[in-house]
Amino acid sequence: MIKVEGLTRVYGPFTAVDDVSFTAEAGKVTGFLGPNGAGKSTTMRIMVGLTNPTKGRATINGSLYADLPNPGRHVGVLLDASAQHDGRTGREVLTLAAMTMGLPKSRVDEMLELVSLTPSEAKRRIKNYSLGMKQRLGIAHALIGDPKVLILDEPANGLDPAGIRWMRGLLKEYADRGGTVLLSSHLLHEVEQIADELILIGNGRIVAEGTKDTILSGHGSAGQSLVTSLDNEALTVALKAKGYSVEPIGTGMRVSAAPAEVGKAALESNVVLTDLRDGGAGLEDIFLQLTAETQRESTTQIHAEGASA
Amino acid sequence: MSAVSVAPSTPLPTATKVPFGRLVMVEWRKMTDTRAGRVMLMITGGLIALVAAIILLVTALSDMAALDATTWMSALSFPVSLLVPVLAIMIVTQEWGQRTHMVTFTLEPSRLKVVFAKLLAVFVLGVVTMAVAVGVGALGTVLGAAIAGSDPTWNVTGEALAWTLATQILYLLMGFGLAMLLLNTPAALVIYYGYTLILEASIFSALYFVFDWAQSLFPWISMQVAMMPFIAPDQMQAAGLTVEDGALGIARLFTSIALWVGLPLVLGTMRVLKSELK
Repeated sequence: MIKVEGLTRVYGPFTAVDDVSFTAEAGKVTGFLGPNGAGKSTTMRIMVGLTNPTKGRATINGSLYADLPNPGRHVGVLLDASAQHDGRTGREVLTLAAMTMGLPKSRVDEMLELVSLTPSEAKRRIKNYSLGMKQRLGIAHALIGDPKVLILDEPANGLDPAGIRWMRGLLKEYADRGGTVLLSSHLLHEVEQIADELILIGNGRIVAEGTKDTILSGHGSAGQSLVTSLDNEALTVALKAKGYSVEPIGTGMRVSAAPAEVGKAALESNVVLTDLRDGGAGLEDIFLQLTAETQRESTTQIHAEGASA
Repeated sequence: MSAVSVAPSTPLPTATKVPFGRLVMVEWRKMTDTRAGRVMLMITGGLIALVAAIILLVTALSDMAALDATTWMSALSFPVSLLVPVLAIMIVTQEWGQRTHMVTFTLEPSRLKVVFAKLLAVFVLGVVTMAVAVGVGALGTVLGAAIAGSDPTWNVTGEALAWTLATQILYLLMGFGLAMLLLNTPAALVIYYGYTLILEASIFSALYFVFDWAQSLFPWISMQVAMMPFIAPDQMQAAGLTVEDGALGIARLFTSIALWVGLPLVLGTMRVLKSELK
């Protein structure tokens, strides 16, 4: 279990992490989501003692990272897959880790097999690795000590679709065995599929947390439908009579009612529906909306596209 | 692809604190498992062999008398002093340059322990390379004498040997301290060689014998000049210089060491302990 309490990190006038508190529980994959520069990496570096917090603290299974004996055996850390010496081979990188942690050499081969790096690839210098191969090596490095907790910063970066699916299965299995996984990403779809719990961070602050469903329902997105029918005018009259607002969009309409209510209204007024679906904002819309201040691009246009899609 | 389980096939040993000796072994391995490290060691070994071969060749081809053991030792410790400190610098700066420090310090959060492990690894390397240089020097003394048809001259005193070793270690520590202070390979190399090759080897020694002010100032700020009364009192006397090997000489020696070895080591350690690693 990872517990973060009131974590704050200030750089001069800039607050990178602003009073962040959350818990990543054992047996679950927790997704740490936010745009570039939101404070994800800083928070993760503080967790493993590479950066000192200005205020607050982060504990792993109740103790500070620095107090863990042989921390590689408790926490698997992957902060940057490129942070390996170009001139070492993949096998050498794992051998150094195994040596430090006091693990048998056989563990190196086990890990290479786990992440599907072939013996000839393991003998190559990291200079000649693709980003995807570096990520696999980084995941092997994080798992080699059989830790109870995993902290992974953008682990899916550079992996191909098959690699992402593989990693999803791996992390799922790891969490099912009772492990704690905290992984960060700026790619919503990636995290949405893996994570049981989501923590959305923007501008150094947590803007939303919970499961996908609680985040969706907590932001007033329920009760929106997109509907198209053979007689839009009649349907509009029927819906307005029930007190819903109706707004034409393209060939159809956006209605401030759940799809079931729209279907009922159509049935009662004998209008044939050609299309009816949930028009609520997706996780992506909420994500963009909540983190709008830290987005580099103006989000209004993106939001409009998302809504009409 | 995910057929292999993430659980270890055999139970792993229980997690206890990483013993210091293991950290030293890891740091030792890191010095020698990259091409840069291996090349540096090979060049050092090659230079020792080359210098020895040239001396022997000259002894064989000319009617020069065989070199005594002291001269052999100082000739062969030169390549060591030139190249081994580079490894002392790289064991630190490489981690920052390649950003492996993030891995190193997550596997051992006690930064001071890592610093000491690196320092000990470098220290052992310094002693081993000097032992090789002294050993080859002894061999050269015997071979040179055999070629020249004379008896080998064993004139290396324990004191001279200790000074040679101490000098090497001091320069090694200086490189290590500068590396921690600057955390950048080129910058640390420039300052290191700027001091040893330009300041000490050329400027200080050239001015020292000429100017009075240089003779009173340099012993305080140059390790080499400060050591002269202890290493080469005879040459100093021959040059008409006062040999200060009393309290003043010792004070000068310690001041110069504090300046070039102590200060970088202390400030550098503070920087490594305090800095944010990313």
